[in-house]
Amino acid sequence: MDNIIESKNMILTKLNSKLSETFSEDIYRSVVDNTNELYLEANPEHILEICTYINTTLGYPLISMFANDEQSLCDKYAVYYVFADREQGILLIIKTLVDPNKMEIRSITKKVHAAALYEREINDLFGIVPVGHPNPKRLVFHSNWPQAEHPLRKDFDVKHKLDFAKEETDFQKVTGEGVYEIPVGPIHAGIIEPGHFRFSVVGEPIINLEAQLYYTHKGIEKMCEGQSIERCLYVAERISGDETFANSLTYCQAIEKIAKVKIPTRAEYTRVVFAELERLTNHLGDLGGLCLDAAYGFATFQFRMMKGWAYWIADELCGMRFLRSVNKLGGVRQDFILGKELKTIEELKKIKSELEDTVKIIKSNSMFIDRVENTGILQTKIATDLNAVGPSGRASGLCFDVRKSFPYEAYKQLEFNIPKHNNGDINCRMNTKIKECFESIYLMIQAIETMPSGKLLEPVKTFEPYQCAFGLTEAPRGENIHWIMTGENNTIFRYKIRTPSFCNWPALCHAVKGNIVPDFPIINKSFNLSYAGNDL
Amino acid sequence: MKILLYIVIQLFVIMMVAPLLNGIIKKIKALSQKRKGAPIFQMYFDLYKLCKKSSVVSDVSSWVFKVTPYIVFATAIAAALLVPVSTMIAPEQLPGDIIMFVSILALGRFFMMIAALDTASTFGGMGSSREALISSLTEPSILVSLFTVGLISKSTSLLQIMNVMKDKGVPLVHPVYIMIFFALLTIIIAETSRIPVDDPSTHLELTMVHEAMILEYSGRHLALMEYGAAIKQLTFITLLVNILIPHDQLIALTGISAVMLSLTIYLIKVIGVCIIIAIAEVSTVKLKLFSIPNLAALSFILSVLGFLQYFVLGGRYV
Repeated sequence: MDNIIESKNMILTKLNSKLSETFSEDIYRSVVDNTNELYLEANPEHILEICTYINTTLGYPLISMFANDEQSLCDKYAVYYVFADREQGILLIIKTLVDPNKMEIRSITKKVHAAALYEREINDLFGIVPVGHPNPKRLVFHSNWPQAEHPLRKDFDVKHKLDFAKEETDFQKVTGEGVYEIPVGPIHAGIIEPGHFRFSVVGEPIINLEAQLYYTHKGIEKMCEGQSIERCLYVAERISGDETFANSLTYCQAIEKIAKVKIPTRAEYTRVVFAELERLTNHLGDLGGLCLDAAYGFATFQFRMMKGWAYWIADELCGMRFLRSVNKLGGVRQDFILGKELKTIEELKKIKSELEDTVKIIKSNSMFIDRVENTGILQTKIATDLNAVGPSGRASGLCFDVRKSFPYEAYKQLEFNIPKHNNGDINCRMNTKIKECFESIYLMIQAIETMPSGKLLEPVKTFEPYQCAFGLTEAPRGENIHWIMTGENNTIFRYKIRTPSFCNWPALCHAVKGNIVPDFPIINKSFNLSYAGNDL
Repeated sequence: MKILLYIVIQLFVIMMVAPLLNGIIKKIKALSQKRKGAPIFQMYFDLYKLCKKSSVVSDVSSWVFKVTPYIVFATAIAAALLVPVSTMIAPEQLPGDIIMFVSILALGRFFMMIAALDTASTFGGMGSSREALISSLTEPSILVSLFTVGLISKSTSLLQIMNVMKDKGVPLVHPVYIMIFFALLTIIIAETSRIPVDDPSTHLELTMVHEAMILEYSGRHLALMEYGAAIKQLTFITLLVNILIPHDQLIALTGISAVMLSLTIYLIKVIGVCIIIAIAEVSTVKLKLFSIPNLAALSFILSVLGFLQYFVLGGRYV
């Protein structure tokens, strides 16, 4: 363990000196936090150059970006740019300060494309204007929200009732002979969440797709501020219904880092079991949905049946199919696995053999394969630029998984593979998910079999205020990042959530281009992104 | 007098049986998915329920929107009257022929397409354009298939064709008829909006064809549209089974019992075709929209092959 910290430290020191050399005058301060997080405070004037250097020369993708109202600490707003070195497992955070009288930052979108949505988000939530942004449209709030109201500023009063602004929403216009727009949503057929899709099409082929989401903005980040860390765990669990465990795990991880708590080994293994169970359930549901959209009834119901079995396992283990209240800060609530090992493994093996048979059948159905092959291709270049994460990224040739690059809980001790495909079409996403299902089953069986006995909870004590840490986990949809800055008395000062869906929505819009309108639902389903997890 | 009796019996059978077919197909599909499924009489309940409800009509729509359900239903009924469920109940002569049959259905479809455009909703136009694509591809195949059997029986009247086919015994052993049978079966799948051409049970508006066109309809209007579609489906199946698998020649009885027996055998044949359609739905998936022309081409080639074989082999051997 010490070796790892040592080597991480060395890498960080090297990186730090390298950056300080290149931008000697623009980097003011550097702090290493939580063994693998390097915070550099940089000159806002040269932020574009610094970020471009990190992104293109060093090749670190921008994985998150957020602002923070730090007026109570240093009389300024702060903007954080988070880059990740996924090979070494380190995070590089560039922090710049924004003057509250000016409220402007230089936009880095033109060089670092992944920043596009983050900058628009910051503009809406904090009113920090990204100067030079190619498309500075509002993102989080629509035309009915007053321009001047920015809820994540500390002086914003949540009880204050806002006026109803009536402005026009304009979408990207595509013009030309025979081009017309198809507005779809925000209310859709079927029980799904709201989102508006504006297609520009010529006949059936799609030229452009613009998605307007955020119809269910709940103000989660604002709501958590000032709340105790125990209460916020319940909020974290409810960010997105089908990623309950992943989000609570990420939250716990961040808090445990701040509190310097090392959770007991048995709790680590238990968390692996539940995280993988959630992944299995979600992937089975996704595969079923994919088959449903291709009108492949038989396969749909096979997958739904298996998803039901996976839910039963969750119910047997913790009495809650959606895995709520399993995690607790510093471990897990109780011993969920004890005495149920054999039964669970038996059930998992049943799912495995049924899955093998079903996969064999669907792969030999040439009509189905014809439907999914070469449809909805997400090119590797676009996936890299937009930082597409999770199975969608791995289907487009990006090979990274938080479980390998930033090992957490017991993943380091367990053996598993990361499937990867290169074509980026629906077929690849489907195959990636199928393989991940088998890997998840394998991981769960391993974890249950090798789990040591012992304690399950290490209580979290009162810690110093104004510390921050990242929680980083692989949710079923991909890389999930929570950043927490704590306040006085174990409360939350700022809670930034970035779910995988946030990164993958723009990727979906690109993957759809050039396909035909009736193929959109199946492409959409192959990504299966969360609205709730995106519209925080 | 006989023609009146024919109309009464024909209408009664068609209208009673048509909704049953959807129930049977849905039931078979449900069983293949390890589900219990809805009762096979569900569509009767649905139609009854819809008839009791009032219809919501968009403010921006014109008279076309309101009149279309009646036209669709009327054309379906009119087309159904041209295809006797049994030659025993039919009069000696029946007005109308193949061309009229195809054009009556085309009239209904034309109104359905413009009514979908009338409300100016997003999905209506999409459904219309797709329906136009599919129907323009399948229509030649229907005509060639029917003209081939018309050539054999030297008539374009559907009743006349049935009578000639009946005299020939069981014709499904000859390659011409096998080609025509499968050509027509493919057309039925396309015309009745079934998988792999369209998915009748989907909720995804963007992928719909037939459903997209009737999306704006509700209440009584919707009932008429759905009933019309069910009748059209039964009419096509009747056409297929009564021309290519005739059965009336096997019945030695006379009088009312012969008619009853004939209708029973007819029902069995129709249910048999429903089972084939259900199996096709279960074992295939929806095609890409741009692959549908391939399916239509397959059907067209089959019908043309059948047509050519008539000349190659010589009419008298068929």
